[in-house]
Amino acid sequence: MTIKEKLKKLLVEELNLEDMTPEEILDDAPLFGEGLGLDSLDAVELVVLVQKHFGVEIKDMDEGRPALQSVASLAAFIEEKLAK
Amino acid sequence: MNFRAPVAVTGLGCLCAAGNTLGECTETLFTGRRSPSPPGRFSTTHPVSYPVFEVPDAALSESAGEEAGLLRTSRLALAAAREAVADAGWSSADLGALRVGVCVGTTVGSAMNNEEFYRQYREGGRPEMTPIERFLLSNPAAAISRAYTLNGPCQTVVNACASGTDAIGLAASWIRAGLCDLAIAGGADELCRVTYNGFISLMIADTEPVRPFDSTRRGLNLGEGAAMLILESEALRRQKKGRARAFVLGYGSACDAYHLTAPSPEGTGLRRAIEEALETSGVAAAEIAFVNAHGTGTPDNDRVESRVLCDALPQVPFFSTKGYTGHTLGAAGAIESALTVACLERREIPASVGFSLPDPDLPGRPTEIAVAIRGRVALSESLAFGGNNAVIIFGSGDNS
Amino acid sequence: MTALAIEGIGVVGGFGCGLDALRQALDSGFSPIGALKTGPGEEEGSRPAFLAESSQLEAFLPKRAFRRIDHFARLALLGSHLALQDAGRLEENRQRLGVVIATGYGAARTTFSFLDSVLDDGDTCASPTNFSNSVHNAAAAHVSILLGATGPSLTVSQFEMSVFSALLTARQWLLEKRVDAVLFGGVDECGPVLGYCHERFFGEECKEMTPLLFDRQSAVVGEGAAFFLLTRGGEGAGRYGFLSDLGFGRLSAGGPKMPGNALLLIGADGHARCGAGYGALVPRGAEVAAYAPLYGSLPVGSAFDLAVAGLTLREGRVFAQPGPAPENVLWRAASPGALGDRPVCGLKIDGEGVFGSFTVQHGPS
Repeated sequence: MTIKEKLKKLLVEELNLEDMTPEEILDDAPLFGEGLGLDSLDAVELVVLVQKHFGVEIKDMDEGRPALQSVASLAAFIEEKLAK
Repeated sequence: MNFRAPVAVTGLGCLCAAGNTLGECTETLFTGRRSPSPPGRFSTTHPVSYPVFEVPDAALSESAGEEAGLLRTSRLALAAAREAVADAGWSSADLGALRVGVCVGTTVGSAMNNEEFYRQYREGGRPEMTPIERFLLSNPAAAISRAYTLNGPCQTVVNACASGTDAIGLAASWIRAGLCDLAIAGGADELCRVTYNGFISLMIADTEPVRPFDSTRRGLNLGEGAAMLILESEALRRQKKGRARAFVLGYGSACDAYHLTAPSPEGTGLRRAIEEALETSGVAAAEIAFVNAHGTGTPDNDRVESRVLCDALPQVPFFSTKGYTGHTLGAAGAIESALTVACLERREIPASVGFSLPDPDLPGRPTEIAVAIRGRVALSESLAFGGNNAVIIFGSGDNS
Repeated sequence: MTALAIEGIGVVGGFGCGLDALRQALDSGFSPIGALKTGPGEEEGSRPAFLAESSQLEAFLPKRAFRRIDHFARLALLGSHLALQDAGRLEENRQRLGVVIATGYGAARTTFSFLDSVLDDGDTCASPTNFSNSVHNAAAAHVSILLGATGPSLTVSQFEMSVFSALLTARQWLLEKRVDAVLFGGVDECGPVLGYCHERFFGEECKEMTPLLFDRQSAVVGEGAAFFLLTRGGEGAGRYGFLSDLGFGRLSAGGPKMPGNALLLIGADGHARCGAGYGALVPRGAEVAAYAPLYGSLPVGSAFDLAVAGLTLREGRVFAQPGPAPENVLWRAASPGALGDRPVCGLKIDGEGVFGSFTVQHGPS
């Protein structure tokens, strides 16, 4: 499973997005506001999920905000951190 | 809804990192000295530590007998209650003969989150029931009622960070309605791993000492403690000739109905609670001498709160005492109420410790130096998870 | 004491969902018992329990709206929507609606789910969603948010006295005109840890509750929510009667004052420890019922007693005591018959000499 695929699966399963399948989430769809419509509580839950499933830490929301824009941006962030 | 029936506060007790008594805590506010530190009573595996404001163990050395077997939150509550009852000049025997209500706010005090018990349970270890038995004996309001064998309404308020303010406001309404002649009202909460981990997971805890309203603020520091106020009916006060250190003039409470953890950006609930507190007290906004703000040091809270304050109570100085106490959750509203009364008595308000750099996004700034005040009315407010907002207005007591 | 009008009732418990389901259980004397796990693993033991489920919430809210909301809060949401619907007030403006929730143990399952996240993966993987939902007032917050109720909100945690304690505040808010209506409810949930504790405290499992046999340990745990829409007495029709005389105090200072002819619903729920206490409090000649065999033993069981009191008053008929009653006592167990103009009283004691009581009567004063 690619990082993007795993992230989509996590979004659906861990955030209980029951009305969607992972395949329906577009790589570049905004996660917050419009798009998936997640909120600030989902954001911090996502930070924990990224820590738990990828071992990558998001230290604060200055770092987090750009990374959490979309599945694509988050995957890129994770890849970059894992490469270090 | 107009009642303007002040309820006398005849005694106060307060204990937290800033001091073991209300007097000590008040002195601390004017020293500029604070020492939040990494937690000493528990450890975690976070890569960095987050400062907390712990109550030293010596402060609880008076718990003896049955009380010593209770959970820490109840022991904190009982210690503060002891100071308050003595301050009001009541003996235990006297209290037993009255109709006395107990209303206490808490968060941790009502949570069965004993990690060791649960860890053993999960591993199939069939843990012993002692922690559960202890928990069942440690409901904070019930523990106070039991300790003094009190006959009257008893309520543990679990409204998250607004609990302490709500408990005092609700107890005042019991007194006005004649449900009791005297009430012990306040809040208590202990530091523990669960809330420490919880707030860190929400990314609203700061790794530095907290900086309420400051431009560089990054979150809260947790604290622990308790405060209790003795409220008395006028009939009882006349009978006993008790002196009022302050009066509860008004109370307001409203829900944002917006989000589980974030405050409404326009502060709708807080505005409404302030209006209600003003209306029920019969006090005009211009008469408020100062505000003891919630001021947790989180980006969201301080932004919303200062906008509402500058709008609803323009020109009224405000400060946060959480720079000295940490965020004591269910105890916060009560500790801050006690400190509000103390400042009214002292006729002086402290600088808001932790603040130095104004945030251009916030319309006002908190107090930067200690200031003498001449007014006789002050307001204390709390904003909580779940969107609860609670506001209480105090007036000066008999001797001023 | 100025009375409050009970305008709507919403209930969900082991008997099912809604007042019809409760009425059916009252008439049949039967409520299904499920199995509650007591151990952490899949195979590790179970105990009888009255279990409630919240699928009917989908009739009121889109599933997406409660994707992060736990079982406890779902029960609260369901109970509160049912009460509003029953009162015919689902569409009303909620700016002057207060929310009061009484709970003995709060969202216990979520508290343990939070501990799971820490114990499974370490402190840095603690779940913020679980933490936020484990705070006791989360359910009231969800109710306020999803209903748009911007009045005051209160959650009270006082074990078996939660309902009586919280009712005092609901009443104060109405009398002080802080609000025009209060959505008042009791909610408690079961979970495996509770099941384990019950097993350790009370040993041998019991499948039939016999609460009027006071010296017998026959408690079966239950869960659910019972919500009420309350208004000031003078402003409501009192569809389920008028709530007056809220009592709370220490038995040693004088017990509850209840009208002599009242139908008495006692909160006896099969715990032998309190049984003797009830025995001493039941007045000679009284007609007495303990309906806990229909919803189980839970700290906020008194909220269900209040629902039954309201139903009894509205229908003007007494529901039979479910299960056996003792003979040779100076009072009698409830039997089907007309209520007449008698009020209905509720009475609960904890194991420590504290009591709570309510009276539901036909008129506002």
